[in-house]
Amino acid sequence: MADEYQVLEELGSGSFGVVYKALEKATGEYVAIKHIDLEGSDDDIREIQQEISLLSTCASDHVTRYKNSFIKGVKLWIVMEFLGGGSCLDLLRPGPMSETYIAIILRELLQGLDYLHSTGKIHRDIKAANILLSESGQVKIADFGVAAQLTNIKSQRLTFVGTPFWMAPEVIQEAGYDFHADIWSLGITAMELALGEPPRSDVHPMKVLFIIPKEKPPRLEGSKWTKEFKDFVALCLNKDGDKRPSARALLKHPFIRRAGKTEMLKELVLKAKRFEDTFEHQERDRRYYEETLREMGRPQVEDDEWIFDTIKPQASMRLPLPGDFTMKRRRLERIPSGEGMDVDETMTAMEDMSLDAGPLNEMVNSPSRSMSTIRTPKPRQNSLRRESAINARNVSISSPTARRVSRNLSGNVPTSRRTSAQQPPPPQQQQQRQPLGLDMSFGNGTSTVRQFKRASSGNKLHSPSQLSPQDSVFDSDEENRSPVHTNSKPEEPITKEGSMGRRCFAKCIDPAFQEAYADTGDQTKRNALAKFSEAWSTLDSVDPEGELILLKAIMDRIQADPKLASALLPQRVAAAQLASLRCSSKKTSSVTQSELGTYNKTPHSSPKKSRRTTTDLQSTPCSPSKPSPGKLVMNPQNPHLRRMKSNQQLLAEREKSILEEKMPGRVEAGKEHVGMLADVLYGRWTEGLRTRWPLA
Amino acid sequence: MAFLFGRTKQRSAQDIVRSTKDLLLRLPREEGQAAKIEEELARNLSQMKITLQGTPEVEVSPDQVYQLVNHILIESLLPLLVESVYRLPFEARKDTQTIISNVFRFRNPGSTSPEPDALKEVLRRQPELIIALCNGYERRESASPCGGILKEALKWDAVAAVILYDEPSADGKTIDIYNEVDVTKKSSGEGIFWKFFGWIDKSSFEVSADAFDCFRLILTKHKALVSQYISTNFDLFFERYNAILIKSESYVTKRQSIKLLGEVLLDRQFYEVMTRYVDSGDNLKLIMWQLKDDRRMVQYEAFHVFKIFAANPNKSHDVQKFLIMNKQRLLKFLPKFLEDRTDDEQFNDEKAWLVKAIGNLPDTTSALQPPATSGSAQQNGAPMQPNSAQVRS
Repeated sequence: MADEYQVLEELGSGSFGVVYKALEKATGEYVAIKHIDLEGSDDDIREIQQEISLLSTCASDHVTRYKNSFIKGVKLWIVMEFLGGGSCLDLLRPGPMSETYIAIILRELLQGLDYLHSTGKIHRDIKAANILLSESGQVKIADFGVAAQLTNIKSQRLTFVGTPFWMAPEVIQEAGYDFHADIWSLGITAMELALGEPPRSDVHPMKVLFIIPKEKPPRLEGSKWTKEFKDFVALCLNKDGDKRPSARALLKHPFIRRAGKTEMLKELVLKAKRFEDTFEHQERDRRYYEETLREMGRPQVEDDEWIFDTIKPQASMRLPLPGDFTMKRRRLERIPSGEGMDVDETMTAMEDMSLDAGPLNEMVNSPSRSMSTIRTPKPRQNSLRRESAINARNVSISSPTARRVSRNLSGNVPTSRRTSAQQPPPPQQQQQRQPLGLDMSFGNGTSTVRQFKRASSGNKLHSPSQLSPQDSVFDSDEENRSPVHTNSKPEEPITKEGSMGRRCFAKCIDPAFQEAYADTGDQTKRNALAKFSEAWSTLDSVDPEGELILLKAIMDRIQADPKLASALLPQRVAAAQLASLRCSSKKTSSVTQSELGTYNKTPHSSPKKSRRTTTDLQSTPCSPSKPSPGKLVMNPQNPHLRRMKSNQQLLAEREKSILEEKMPGRVEAGKEHVGMLADVLYGRWTEGLRTRWPLA
Repeated sequence: MAFLFGRTKQRSAQDIVRSTKDLLLRLPREEGQAAKIEEELARNLSQMKITLQGTPEVEVSPDQVYQLVNHILIESLLPLLVESVYRLPFEARKDTQTIISNVFRFRNPGSTSPEPDALKEVLRRQPELIIALCNGYERRESASPCGGILKEALKWDAVAAVILYDEPSADGKTIDIYNEVDVTKKSSGEGIFWKFFGWIDKSSFEVSADAFDCFRLILTKHKALVSQYISTNFDLFFERYNAILIKSESYVTKRQSIKLLGEVLLDRQFYEVMTRYVDSGDNLKLIMWQLKDDRRMVQYEAFHVFKIFAANPNKSHDVQKFLIMNKQRLLKFLPKFLEDRTDDEQFNDEKAWLVKAIGNLPDTTSALQPPATSGSAQQNGAPMQPNSAQVRS
């Protein structure tokens, strides 16, 4: 069967296979052939087969046409029609598109979706990268890697699949969804085409999973777009799936009805081609298909066959026959060349990411760019090859399926977007690609902390406990740089406890009172609050040490009472619970325990306190959850990462901690990848402490 | 008005079934008219599909569904549909699948039989239909719709029983599984079940993979039934399984069939089949050759069968002999076997265990007792099988 095709250059590749352009000898037509290396994965071949059976039961001008599939050696060849126009994502490369084009693309897309939905299929991964164009401007839906075929048209699906930014809330919540999930993704895709990126693309993809179900749906805003377009997007992005119109109904929307002819899209294709030729020509690294040589066998096996008396192995038992091996291809990912990035598990991937994302790291491989498709139930083993990723730029002309790559929950970035981040771009572009603003701010301390305080002030009950001396840790980081406190020291040579107490008041108590005061409407309550504030202020000026001890006593009692602790220190409780769930849990949680123990004693041994704290800190300088009790509250290490281990765990966790205090939860989520960074910063901070408070 | 409405619906259900039947009969005869007939058929089938399953926007009417299913059965439309499915245009083939699947799912309100009513009716009166569906694997055009219907219908033991106990007969009638099944009677190897081996081995990838899927469902979804069947037809079954599937030239067939074998053998319900299988030295040899296949996933799946031989506490004489003869080779081979699977804990544990177990075997076969059941020195494993089977049963 393979002889019927003349395989030409590579169009793109992913962990799942390589796509080649090929000539169908019989017809002289170009086709796209995806080579899937079946040896590459433990997964059941059934999954791949399912994709084929789904594709093969589609016959629509709006869906990439499947032609054939067969096995060659250990590879499955899937032959599909060749689409020379690239994907909509490629078309976005020169910049966002104008509404005229978007309307045409959306109309064609809706026709494709209407076809799929009427035949009981849900695509589940609609996004610009999965919409391909022919050179003549035809628009086709591609990549059925995570699509579902419903046996009963009325049934629902639960599986958590898709690409985070494009996923509908009901898919994320695993609440049961149907065709309407595709309509949401269509709405996001519409915004992607208009803006160049999906909404919230600056947010970490894992965090976006929290945001989508929780926050208001995104909207297209501004005078740049017509009312119809904005209305169309708003209709698609209804959080209640049942209220979203069907694809058929959307085809009647004024925005779609006034759309022009597909031929107009040719201009767009040409524009993207020109852009690519101008700016990316030198990066082109065209690779051609070559029949690969047989892999060198394992020598110890060849000369050492089994002995079963006189029975000789038959040819079919695969004695090494010359010529039997031509089908075998050298598998790049098995060669430890150092350039392959082998991401075995989600966790590893996430940790990698945290390194990449850190401001201290030069890598620009931003997790927020992650556009990879999530595919549960089993995360597929993902072996990315960097050179192929670079090459993926040429995917432009690719057939769809090449693009679906990482199926890990991790934010691996297989799509061409990542590619662009990986190529050696001009330096300033690198700068632009710097990922998460939030992380940066953590390094600088202030903004995040403020944010946190503001959040806690939303709930009066929280403020006394959360704005406890423990919070000083954060400010201590600030203290490393801030002249304020160093200045105050010589003026008032009081004890460390005293300065801590002062600090508490200035940093926590006083602002908390002020916010609470501002939040209180009732005059009597305001008066009472004012009196209390005044009294505390007196205490602060008279006896800051006593103030600190008082605060500690309050904190200790809150911590001692599980109910109060869970109400007032929910992050802390959650963190402890999580810590016990981690693989390396024992160490971490025991640290937390001992730390608590130390803390309990401190009020009674205040003269020695400072030393104890310092030694404590020194003894575990790199334990991330250890820094100080306060650290836990805002711990950037707070294991959101681990939450992703299982989505269920994630949901439970979310209920436990995040819902209660919105802002801290969000802040932490944004910082989840700075684990390593936090260690470094923490180390620096303790050093600063030590120089300032030398051991007595 | 409501009365009139009901009448028109009823008549139209009957009409559409009759007209479809008529068109299907004409399709192969009037080639000149083919396009027109196909078009009309496609329209009819699409309408029937919508009546039976509704659309995303429109709910079905239970009364209309009842009427339509009833008339399809009265007119015996299904056999004709299955027979002609490969002739139908693309969408009509999928509609046909939907129609038949929906008919098979149909239940009267309050019905208590395990199978849905319409399916039961088919199994009683026209079990040939199930056979015809299997024969859909003969053609690429019909494989997917027929396979789809079958795989869904294979939820029911009765459907699997029809496939397993089918025997060719002079009058073309298929066995009535509700009355005349003798589970102890050996299969001739000519029934429809045995054709699956050929379809899996010979067909194009799509058809082969679909047929294998169906085959897997038969074996794994009806364990009690199938373990009885394999026990009765043990030699025939494994002779073909080994020769056609495990020795298949197709990578996919080979890999999947070794995997399926491992799954079946490790299932509690197949205990008896497993003990007989691992008694055989020939089976061990075949699996050991697969360990040395040059394709890693074949090796990997073979490992999971091989471990069962080694873990068996009552190894047969032949199995012990082969393992001891290759002891040193195995001890050299296993530690390096798929050693890059470092993240597969279970595999590594099992491998370590295997190395230990094989290390504990005696170094030579000299101390090996000839099989106790026969008393005489048997060198070959094959004659032993019936003996051990008798002992156990």
